Amino acid sequence: MATSNLKHALFCAIITLVVSYPILGFNLVSQGTSVGLEGANPTTVTAVFLAALAVFLFQLFRDQIMSGLGRVPKPALPTTRNMSDATRVRMQNLIILFVVIGAAIWPFLASRGSVDLATLVLIYVMLALGLNVVVGLAGLLDLGYVAFYAVGAYTFALLSQYFGISFWVALPTGALLAALFGLALGFPVLRLRGDYLAIVTLGFGEIIRILLNNWTSLTGGPNGIGGIPDPTLFGMEFGRRVKEEGNISFHDFFGIAYDSTHKIIFLYLIALVLAVMTFFAIRRLMQMPVGRSWEALREDEIAARSLGLSRTGVKLSAFTIGAFFAGFAGTVFASKQGFISPESFVFLESAIILAIVVLGGMGSQFGVILAAIAVTILPELAREFSEYRMLIFGAAMVLMMVWRPQGLLPMRRIHIHLDKPE
Amino acid sequence: MLDAYFLQQLINGLTIGSAYALIAIGYTMVYGIIGMINFAHGEIYMIGAYTALIAITGLAALGVAFLPIVLLVALICAVIVSSSAGWAVERIAYRPVRGRHRLIPLISAIGMSIFLQNYVHLAQGSRNMGFPLLIEGGFRFGAEGDFQTSISYIQITIFITTLICMAGLSWFIAKSRTGRACRAVSQDLGMSSLLGIDTNRIIAATFVIGAALAAVAGLLLGMYYGSIDPLFGFIAGLKAFTAAVLGGIGSIPGAMLGGLILGVSESMTSGYLSGEYKDVVSFGLLILILLFKPTGLLGKPEVEKI
Amino acid sequence: MNTSVKNIVTAVSASAALMASGSALAEIKIGIAGPMTGPVAQYGDMQFSGARMAIEQINADGGVMGEKLEAVEVDDVCDPKQAVTVANRLVNEGVQFVVGHLCSSSTQPASDIYEDEGILMITPASTSPEITSRGYELVFRTIGLDSMQGPVAGEYLASLNPDRVAVIHDKQQYGEGIATAVKETLEEKGVEVPMFDGITAGDKDFSSLVTKLKQADVDYVYYGGYHPELGLILRQARQANLDATFMGPEGVGNKDINSIAGEAAEGLLVTLPPAFDEKEANQELVKAFEEKGEDPSGPFVLTSYAAVQLIAEGIEKAESTDPFDVAAALREGSFETPIGTVEYDSKGDMESFEFVVYEWHSDGSKTPVN
Repeated sequence: MATSNLKHALFCAIITLVVSYPILGFNLVSQGTSVGLEGANPTTVTAVFLAALAVFLFQLFRDQIMSGLGRVPKPALPTTRNMSDATRVRMQNLIILFVVIGAAIWPFLASRGSVDLATLVLIYVMLALGLNVVVGLAGLLDLGYVAFYAVGAYTFALLSQYFGISFWVALPTGALLAALFGLALGFPVLRLRGDYLAIVTLGFGEIIRILLNNWTSLTGGPNGIGGIPDPTLFGMEFGRRVKEEGNISFHDFFGIAYDSTHKIIFLYLIALVLAVMTFFAIRRLMQMPVGRSWEALREDEIAARSLGLSRTGVKLSAFTIGAFFAGFAGTVFASKQGFISPESFVFLESAIILAIVVLGGMGSQFGVILAAIAVTILPELAREFSEYRMLIFGAAMVLMMVWRPQGLLPMRRIHIHLDKPE
Repeated sequence: MLDAYFLQQLINGLTIGSAYALIAIGYTMVYGIIGMINFAHGEIYMIGAYTALIAITGLAALGVAFLPIVLLVALICAVIVSSSAGWAVERIAYRPVRGRHRLIPLISAIGMSIFLQNYVHLAQGSRNMGFPLLIEGGFRFGAEGDFQTSISYIQITIFITTLICMAGLSWFIAKSRTGRACRAVSQDLGMSSLLGIDTNRIIAATFVIGAALAAVAGLLLGMYYGSIDPLFGFIAGLKAFTAAVLGGIGSIPGAMLGGLILGVSESMTSGYLSGEYKDVVSFGLLILILLFKPTGLLGKPEVEKI
Repeated sequence: MNTSVKNIVTAVSASAALMASGSALAEIKIGIAGPMTGPVAQYGDMQFSGARMAIEQINADGGVMGEKLEAVEVDDVCDPKQAVTVANRLVNEGVQFVVGHLCSSSTQPASDIYEDEGILMITPASTSPEITSRGYELVFRTIGLDSMQGPVAGEYLASLNPDRVAVIHDKQQYGEGIATAVKETLEEKGVEVPMFDGITAGDKDFSSLVTKLKQADVDYVYYGGYHPELGLILRQARQANLDATFMGPEGVGNKDINSIAGEAAEGLLVTLPPAFDEKEANQELVKAFEEKGEDPSGPFVLTSYAAVQLIAEGIEKAESTDPFDVAAALREGSFETPIGTVEYDSKGDMESFEFVVYEWHSDGSKTPVN
């Protein structure tokens, strides 16, 4: 073991040095009119060598370390395995109820910034639940999901700008239009398999973004669209001053002082209601024949087709429903931001939503919600390391895939235990 | 309409296209062997360009000005660092997840891509760094006063280097022992490992070869464009990946063809329509070709195995 | 005995008074919002450096109405979405005055929030006319508008009697805004503009565009946008033997353009705000920057300095820290700042802001041409 391990360890250490020393050890700096080179400070250089040493030692004693780690018991995840399915479902419903009630009361106690962030979290929850249908349940790899999100957001922005349509009308319109886009795209491309589908959806997402960016006369191009109205509550506005004739403002109606947090809380509550609706709608769909056929097609396309399932129909339904919820989320997003531009709908956004679905555990709704919360909040908490937050995010994605690829809460199906005869 | 203007746009397109092809090799080889999209490949190319620039600046500071030496040293440095990075990426992010559900390596690759982008961003800053133009000058055709078609030495260098790399690679894949092993592994991974091929080593080798070619492209395009930044690998990677799919992913001549088609279509779009829409045209072309030929231009049709 | 009790009483009341005044000495928070990271972070550096210097100097002089200024710095990466997030965070922190943002596309959505929340905002860098055209009460700037800079460039180009001028832009709010203004000015003056085209910011290959410019046979090319793209266009144009003079707005007037374009940057025309750091009156300030090891010559350093100073003077003039009172005071008064005398019109734009045409050289220096 000794020589081959030593050789391998040495090799790994050299690779570490080669990859990190040139990039970290020399800094390109603009010196007036030209680019010059500066040596990095000694701490960085020391760190690079220490890292190489650490890699060397780890690889040299890899077997011992790994067997040592193997003895440490893995942290046990809470399990409900021993419960019967009926009790589990009842428990789940109870927990959902408490969580929703808690989430509805919470904004009145929390600070403005955290409520605003929570609204963003809920938007991601909606997006991830929708993409979960496409990727997690139907097994269709969609890398351009953000396009439907953009359709929802731009529908609201354009309708309000040109026709003065309010949030409540735009919400179903945006979602339906996004679904229509899903249908239109899905029809031709769904016969492509696996990764070809992935690249075509990616291309589609980019095309939508570039069109939004270039069609300046309609969408304002990179300048985006501003002044998107806030949602109203039975015709009551939440701004300091009423923007539309005939409306009254919320604080005047109730005779309370103007407080900007009202608007933030109201938006949060709307997002909460919509997220809960999304959750239950999809949960219901999963238990219906269409949901079962998504999973059947994902597991074995040939078997599913030979049982008489229409491949196109099933895939289209998943694609369209996924797009529908993205449109929902887009409308809420436009309303929350008050301003949208194509920059919010880049490929990275698709990647992040996909990462949420995979991190949460494909197909698992609870897992996806948990992951949406984690992925949105962690970078905010890590603002102190703001420079490093994307670095950490990328590394976390890799590590998670290596160590826990099934996700935070893997999907569980309802199944029946047969008691073994003793 | 074969006028000077068209010819010039064709030359521009072929230059960019052959550079895309160099990067596309990395995608197509990895996909051919383990069936995954190596999203971090664009970042490997970016790291190659940064290393080359660091080497060139370093040599300039040392007072070395003899052009062939500067280019050679920059090329060697870029190739070594990029290949090491390609090897490390495969080892850290892909080997442990190989054989799992196909989304798992994809997410791991996207994570790696974000990581590498930010690694270089933190180490080197986000500014656009000017890349010295080492190969200046060129030929001009046509009468003085009219529109003159020009072809610069750097464009010629890019063509020739790409051709040499492609020829070398084709020879390597066809004739050498490792190349044969590569083909065997891409046909059937399980079977070749039963027949005594060290599949881990072969997979690592494809990553290293792809990374080395990407580094060559990094040096050439760095000089041709004139500046580099930590984000430019991602866009180039996306284009190269499109080229690979266009030509038929898994096929090396396909990558070359896809790259050239993509490059020419981009330059014609910017030349005759508007630069704003060149990406729309390239992605639209991709979607169209895939609809009618779902495995790309030179890809082998997939057989459904039952 | 009696006296000692009296002494204690006085001491206690004195210290109580001291404590009371201590708690009244609350700090005035000034939010500074701009890009610390991302592709235009170097412009953000200028903004932060100018604003920090102003806050330091004002605090060293005893603060504003006896209260110290405290900076709350946030990073918007020049991304509209991040801008909204950080604007909400500033609201959360209880900030009432903001210096920022830098990019017009970030300033616009953020200003919606500030106006709604009653926060006064002065942008030291955003030049889009739209920002102040929405009838907002609390939005100001210490920089000129694209609609002022465009005509300056257009008129200068027209005065050179060119045959044909191409106008290119990067499709961003800033670049396209200026380019449109240049094009309109040129056409008014009867100059032919055969080509008005957009490019994609972040792109690197402009060989097709350069070929197109060559085909269009233009004498001058105006580019609305930032230096990374123009640097590449200049360099690739030189490679392809394009014989035309380029011109750009202050977003290209940065030494980085030389490191990208090299020799090709020689002769580039740039409209810039006058070099405030070369003014006689600012020499002491310039020295202060140099002592800190910072460079005061960037276009947004002293505009940011002025923005902080205007907030401070506005507060003192209004004798109130209520942003609406301060806004009213700013609209009424006339203020002496390092960028000259500032007077505001009803929209929150400066009454006058001068732009000068410079010729850029390949060593990074510049000489005024008119």
